[in-house]
Amino acid sequence: MIVTWRIGVRIALVMVVAVLLQLSFFSYLTLFGTTPNIIPLVAVTLGLLGGAMVGAICGFALGFVLDSTLLATLGVSSLVLLAVGYLAGRYREGTEISNTLMPPLLIGVLTMAASAGFSAIQLMLGVETQVSLLILREIFVQGLLAFLLAIPFYPLIRRALRPAIVDDVVAGRRMRTPIRSAAKGRRRRPRRRTPRIRRASGIS
Amino acid sequence: MYRKQVRRRRAVLVILVVLALVLISATFSESKSGPLHTVQQGVASVFSPLEEGATRALKPARDLVNWVSETFNARGENSELKTDVQKLRSRLANAQAAMGENEQLRNLLKLDRGGALAGYEPVTARVIARPPTVWYSTVQVDAGSGDGVALNDPVINGDGLIGRVSDVTHWSSKVTLITDAESSVSAKVLPSGPQGVAEPEAGDPSVMLLDFIDKSEPIHEGQIVVTAGWSNGTISSAFPAGIPIGEVRQTTVGQQETYQNVRLDPFADMRNLDYVQVATNGPERPGVSK
Repeated sequence: MIVTWRIGVRIALVMVVAVLLQLSFFSYLTLFGTTPNIIPLVAVTLGLLGGAMVGAICGFALGFVLDSTLLATLGVSSLVLLAVGYLAGRYREGTEISNTLMPPLLIGVLTMAASAGFSAIQLMLGVETQVSLLILREIFVQGLLAFLLAIPFYPLIRRALRPAIVDDVVAGRRMRTPIRSAAKGRRRRPRRRTPRIRRASGIS
Repeated sequence: MYRKQVRRRRAVLVILVVLALVLISATFSESKSGPLHTVQQGVASVFSPLEEGATRALKPARDLVNWVSETFNARGENSELKTDVQKLRSRLANAQAAMGENEQLRNLLKLDRGGALAGYEPVTARVIARPPTVWYSTVQVDAGSGDGVALNDPVINGDGLIGRVSDVTHWSSKVTLITDAESSVSAKVLPSGPQGVAEPEAGDPSVMLLDFIDKSEPIHEGQIVVTAGWSNGTISSAFPAGIPIGEVRQTTVGQQETYQNVRLDPFADMRNLDYVQVATNGPERPGVSK
């Protein structure tokens, strides 16, 4: 990803909208007994699109904003989200993503990892609870929901950051050249033919 | 060139991890008026109007999605509710007789009729944000210190006790629900009055446990549990006495245990909170910071 200041603004907007959507919409829903969480989804998506550094920085920033707005312990979400953002970015840098199902699958798996990591940190920080089946179910269902939500959200975020994504820019240039020349060819023919027909029919 | 990139990437990762760890330890060690809390409250204040707007705008969409999922659950609940109605009818008859008696006795003793929140000034607030994880049972409300809300103010809704204010900014407040892992409320069972501590059940925030109830105390399913308003002169509960908390769902007594396991269903539905009331400017309670 080529991060210019304009793209930086777009990324910031994506993150703010994601936090607002999460706090004001998704957190109120209960699907399969748990709450969908799009914050790890956004961190992983940004990592997949922008690489390890973008993923880590965006994950950290997302976590900071989330913890600040919820007046929760600062740094907990940042630590988890920067890790999943970084891992997603490393995966993207090392592997070509050719299968369209790969990003949602990766988002699902990394969301599960984020949820498990968050639980582990909470337990280490002294939240008195036991590792019950309900917590394991929560981790699994959050991953499943993230996989399902990634199907519309991943292309949407990719579209929002399209001008910065190197693959899309290169593919766009390749696509543009033959289409333009073909279009020019089609446009020229009627211009040349029309006067000839008119001349032949004696109108001009 | 590539090595330089790798080094830079690793350096950024290390810096961010260290920063996150510093934030965690600083948040724990610092007081509520420390610089990090001030920054956090600043960000929360900036976001609270946006959250309020988004919460209002997205309410129809939320209601639609919840309606669909609730329709699936409604079938199972229907038969349970029919059985509940039968039980409640018989209890209503008893309650009406008791209410008449209660009225007469109150008149005789000239007791205060202001209810549990007599002496408080209720401030109505809208829930504007919820956390995405089961680990925090908290909500953000759109009333803050500017509306008279202070730390540890009790929060209720029409059904019963919700929680207490655990953090305040000028425009918004964080309410820690009674189902949060850090919450514990001194409670008593009506009408007999044994007292215990109501806490969330580990791993299931929708159910609460009433702890420290001696196993010799007779407690039955359906008994009402209210706040006890416990105080010993130097420390006291943040909640005044008499706010309904929930209803006894199940009691079990282990042979080797001193206390019985009392499970409660909270009256308030913590997943569907829209409006709450914060009881502000109440009487001073010893040991409860404001």
